[in-house]
Amino acid sequence: MAFIHPIQALATIGNDSIIFTVVKNVIMAFQQQSSGEYKQIGEWADTYDRSDSIKEKVSKEQERQIQENIKKQKDNEGNSVPKKVSQAKVPVPGPGAPRIYSCIRNLIVTKNGGKLISCADSDKSVLIFKIDLSNKTNCLELLKRQPFPKRPNAITISDDESTVIMADKFGDVYSIPIEGEPITNINEELDPILGHVSMLTDVLFKTDSKGKRFLITTDRDEHIKVSHFPQSFIVDKWLFGHKEFVSSVCSPAWKSNFLFSAGGDDSVYLWDWEAGKKLAEFNYSEAVKPYLGDNHLAPSRFQNENNDVIEYAVSKIVAFSTAPYVAFFVEATKVLFILKVDSEKETFTLSKTIDLPYNVISLESVQGDELVVSLDNRDSGNNDFVKFIKYDAANDDFTVDDAKSKAVDTCLKQFSNSEKLVVESADVYPLYSITTLKKHGEHYS
Amino acid sequence: RAHSNPFSDHQLEYPECPADMDWARLYPGFVDSATGKLSREVTIADIGCGFGGLMIDLSPAFPQELILGMEIRVQVTNYVEDRIIALRTNHAREQQYQNINVLRGNAMKFLPNFFHKAQLNKMFFCFPDPHFKQRKHKARIVTSTLLSEYAYVLKEGGVVYTITDVEDLHNWMVSHLEQHPLFKRLSKEWEQNDKCVEIMTNATEEGKKVARKQGAKYIACFERLPDPEII
Repeated sequence: MAFIHPIQALATIGNDSIIFTVVKNVIMAFQQQSSGEYKQIGEWADTYDRSDSIKEKVSKEQERQIQENIKKQKDNEGNSVPKKVSQAKVPVPGPGAPRIYSCIRNLIVTKNGGKLISCADSDKSVLIFKIDLSNKTNCLELLKRQPFPKRPNAITISDDESTVIMADKFGDVYSIPIEGEPITNINEELDPILGHVSMLTDVLFKTDSKGKRFLITTDRDEHIKVSHFPQSFIVDKWLFGHKEFVSSVCSPAWKSNFLFSAGGDDSVYLWDWEAGKKLAEFNYSEAVKPYLGDNHLAPSRFQNENNDVIEYAVSKIVAFSTAPYVAFFVEATKVLFILKVDSEKETFTLSKTIDLPYNVISLESVQGDELVVSLDNRDSGNNDFVKFIKYDAANDDFTVDDAKSKAVDTCLKQFSNSEKLVVESADVYPLYSITTLKKHGEHYS
Repeated sequence: RAHSNPFSDHQLEYPECPADMDWARLYPGFVDSATGKLSREVTIADIGCGFGGLMIDLSPAFPQELILGMEIRVQVTNYVEDRIIALRTNHAREQQYQNINVLRGNAMKFLPNFFHKAQLNKMFFCFPDPHFKQRKHKARIVTSTLLSEYAYVLKEGGVVYTITDVEDLHNWMVSHLEQHPLFKRLSKEWEQNDKCVEIMTNATEEGKKVARKQGAKYIACFERLPDPEII
């Protein structure tokens, strides 16, 4: 049965009167009206055709090989023999080949609300949009599309909002100006500003109490690295303590030297990143147990005889904008955990568990001490796309804002006949890929 | 095997952080009997030490410094371990070769797990895997991004030694080290007066092989500069 694809990523401007969503390969913008309803105000679809760029790449590699062979091939007199060159063929995946998805990931809005930054899988590019609210037909205008040699995995924006920092799947971090033309030959013109020899999973821009700027990068090898910025060739420190991969870090505005990190470990960690000290950890393994199911069983090649090895990981951790709380969720579970942070004692404890009707896919913190999650609602009949969770300061409690959540759902439901957004079950993009980052030490030598 | 993929998920043992590393196991001759801890830290690292020839010649030249070889290939590491055990046993009376040992590990990924900031005096990169193909250049042991991590574990004035018989790789290493703001190339004259350069040129198994084939050896040494003022 066809349904609207679940929302893969979310972003908001200021408070959540404007929200951006990624559905399949489409970015959509919605604005809340005075009536409380949401109305679509912008849309951009990634229609990039990969075959041309693949063809170009194949031709280039073929050219290089021919040049290399010319050097080697000599006739009897020692002169080089030119070889006939045929047109490069674009490789076509054979039957049974893994499917290629053209997903859009990572959605962030600059603090002034002027730009939207995202990444497209199709050409491994960073997308920079201008948000023009005066344009009544479409508020999204693509300013720049910067392709990279490896897939972007995480992005952040520098404090002066002039630069996007991108961390890729291969371990390199690039800095690209928001303004200006894209660079056509990355390998020759743009060097990574820092790197890990491991897949990068998150990147964070921070300023310390002395006003010095830093980049915090996390990887699949348990590492959290703190480098200076823009002098990114000076490593300041590593934060050691994770035993599994790190998937997500965040640092709250209300306690800037705090850093929260999470990933494949049973615990989420609290650090003083300026001092380079681990302050506390919260073990969530008992709390999450009731929410684990068959989809947390380890892949068969890592399974034991009883078939009871489970693997799970935190997808994302975020901090509330002003209230001393952080929230996180474990991949492929229907629950959100909220921890209360004691800044004096430098500890944190479980404050609230919020059950949700479907698995959480994405989580963002919104100004005004609110969270927004998107859900894997493929079985809902186009309901329950998002949930807003509001901090109620008077009662020191958290409540799901049903009215607002419903308003967004209703707005999205209108697209139930839109070919752009509707998919069959078999065509849903892989929504659960964090746990696969777990290392199994497969290679002995 | 001549190669190992530095990007693979190997079964590796490495400490969670430098403080967790049990060095006493590797250098029992330097354990302080009162505290049970090592009396000094490792200050010389041979990255990709191969069959260990360099360490074995460095050992008598720096009797008061601890020297560690890191090697990613299991069989090669086992061989070097056996070789060091034999040397220690044969020279037990003179207490020699107590200051060298080898670890199986991926230095490109986990160097900071072993060494804290500014711990090392010298790092050697002798006849590293050239990784000729352009798309495999990130697998090279010297890249601009890895140099920042080497600079982290080196103290100011510490030295990076490189030697290779592949001219392209030599040029690559020199250009990347020269472009890095934390390294400065040392002069030919310095090289001629440095005993490590002499040892490095003649000691390693690869170096001897190159000499037998009368191949060229390209040497470049770089000093770790102080960090510039943080802006």
